[in-house]
Amino acid sequence: MSDLALNAEHVADAHDDHGHHSSLGLSNAKLAMWLFLGSECLLFGALISTYLLSVANFIREVVAGNPEVIDTMGVGSPIMAEIAEAHSVEPMFDIPFTSASSFILLMSSLTMVLAHKAVSEARYRESRIYLGATLFLGATFIAGQVYEFTAFYREGLTYTGNLFGSAFYTLTGFHGVHVSVGLIMLGSLLYLSMRGRLQQDRAETVELVGLYWHFVDIVWVLIFTIVYLIP
Amino acid sequence: MANSATTSTASHGTHGDDAHGAHPTEGQYWIVFVALAVLTAVEVGWSFIGLEGVALVLPLIVMMVVKFLLVGGAFMHLYFDTKIPKGGTFVALFAIGLILALMVFAATISAFEWHV
Repeated sequence: MSDLALNAEHVADAHDDHGHHSSLGLSNAKLAMWLFLGSECLLFGALISTYLLSVANFIREVVAGNPEVIDTMGVGSPIMAEIAEAHSVEPMFDIPFTSASSFILLMSSLTMVLAHKAVSEARYRESRIYLGATLFLGATFIAGQVYEFTAFYREGLTYTGNLFGSAFYTLTGFHGVHVSVGLIMLGSLLYLSMRGRLQQDRAETVELVGLYWHFVDIVWVLIFTIVYLIP
Repeated sequence: MANSATTSTASHGTHGDDAHGAHPTEGQYWIVFVALAVLTAVEVGWSFIGLEGVALVLPLIVMMVVKFLLVGGAFMHLYFDTKIPKGGTFVALFAIGLILALMVFAATISAFEWHV
């Protein structure tokens, strides 16, 4: 009977923990996270658009002394490829290296979603392994970005040197900051889990961090294609 | 009685899943990941085969959108959340931001001259 009372008390407490639901019957925290991610779409949409405009303006600056070239240039035109090649904008990208970084970030999304599933099924040891793996993969991605930025800087691409540099570092830097914030959140979750404070009834907390992490992954999917693969 | 309480606790344990619809199995998550990895490999390969213009850009954009939908639908559970009552609200909140961002993007693209 005392077991029954304890179980009932646990259920009541657990319901109190995440009983904050909107009139729709949905979790307020999850609604807030989706609203935040919607606003983040606008932020990165604006950053990607600014990048495209800045790169176009940079190329216009490069050929400023040749009006006839400006009149004939456009996205996909051979002159654009020639200009990019002549000024070492695209050849600077190390596509195989960035592809490996993309793969690492995609894998971190897998381990993140598996961590959430493990917590929601009370497999706490596995959840710690998955959270640790996500943290490690995310940190590896950031290390790769630092390496890439350092290599570009040494090749002469600085933040204030030209429009392309400013746009590139702003876009990828903002993404890197988001990944770093995600790493802090993952570290906090791992700490809570190791202290035994990340139980089944708090699976939604892991899901919310996961939503943020997957969003960061989605943004990289866009950046990788638009910035690195499309000339 | 005790069994009843235990069942109650257990059902609470899966409360998250109940509230968010049936989520994929671990195997299904792995399948999605493999699909994402293969798409990334194809993307990179496609960019190296020397195509230009629409032949280069369009497949890359399509693969990018498919990867976006796979991560959003499976890993972020958007596909599964739409199966629960009012779950479409999550999608709507995200979609509003996404549509506005796409409008900004479209306005930017319209400023370009295309020679394809």
